[in-house]
Amino acid sequence: MTVNRGEVPDQVYPPAEDSFLLLRAALREVRETDRVLEVGTGSGYVAAGLLDRAAAVVATDINPHAVACARSRGVAAVRTDLFAGLSGPFDLILFNPPYLPTAPEERIDDWLEYALDGGPTGRVTIEKFAADVGRVLSPFGRVLLLVSSLTDPSAVRGLFARAGFVSFIVDEERLEGETLYVLRAMRDLCRMGL
Amino acid sequence: MRKNLMEILCCPVCKGALVLTVAEESGDEVLEGTLRCAACRVDYPITEGIPNLLPQTACED
Repeated sequence: MTVNRGEVPDQVYPPAEDSFLLLRAALREVRETDRVLEVGTGSGYVAAGLLDRAAAVVATDINPHAVACARSRGVAAVRTDLFAGLSGPFDLILFNPPYLPTAPEERIDDWLEYALDGGPTGRVTIEKFAADVGRVLSPFGRVLLLVSSLTDPSAVRGLFARAGFVSFIVDEERLEGETLYVLRAMRDLCRMGL
Repeated sequence: MRKNLMEILCCPVCKGALVLTVAEESGDEVLEGTLRCAACRVDYPITEGIPNLLPQTACED
C-alpha cells in the first residue's frame, strides 16, 4: 500500500488506498441525519471526512496514539475495543478492519499490529464485529466494511448472513496483488423474529 | 469529550450506565475526569479529552 504519513505518528495506521475507498463509499452513503460511528479509526482520516455531512460522528480505536490523532482532527474519539464501551444506537457504522492473514510467528508486538493482524484467516476481528454490531446499530442502520480479496469476501458475507444481515458489495478498487471491496450490510428484516 | 457523548457511552464490561465526574473542563469539553460504573465498581479515566473504556485490568500503554 502507498503510504503518505503526513502528520500521522509512527504507531498509527496512516491513510492508504483502503481508507480512501472507504471514505468515498461513506460519502455516497451518509445522510445528514445519521449518527455515524467509525470503529478502529486509526488516524481519524475517514471519520474527519464525514464531520460536516452527518448529525454526529464518533470514532473508536484501541490504540492510544490513534485516538489522540483522531481527536486532533476534530473527531469525538473514544478509546475502546471495537464498540465495547458504546451503547449507540448508530445509523451508519464504518469499519476498515485489520484483515491481513497473519500466522502467530509473524506477529510483531506493537500498536500498529492491531491495525493489520486479522489472525490466521484474516477474519478474526471481522467475526467479532459481525457477531456484536447489532447491539449498537439502529433498526434500519447500515454498515460499511472494507474487505480485501485476501480476506475472502464471500466468507465475510457468510459471517454477516449468519449474524442476520444481508450484504452487498457497493464499491471496489483493484490494486497490485489484491482487490479492495466495500461491503454494505443491513439487518435482514425479512428474517427478523425467526 | 463533549458532555453529550455520555448518551452513547456505557461500561465496556456490563454495558451499564456510567456516571461522569469532571476534574477539568473547557466550555462543553471534559478534559480530565472519570466515568464510573457503579455496578462493576470501576472508574474509567478521561485523559486529555479522551475517555478510556478499556477493561481496567487489561489496560496497557
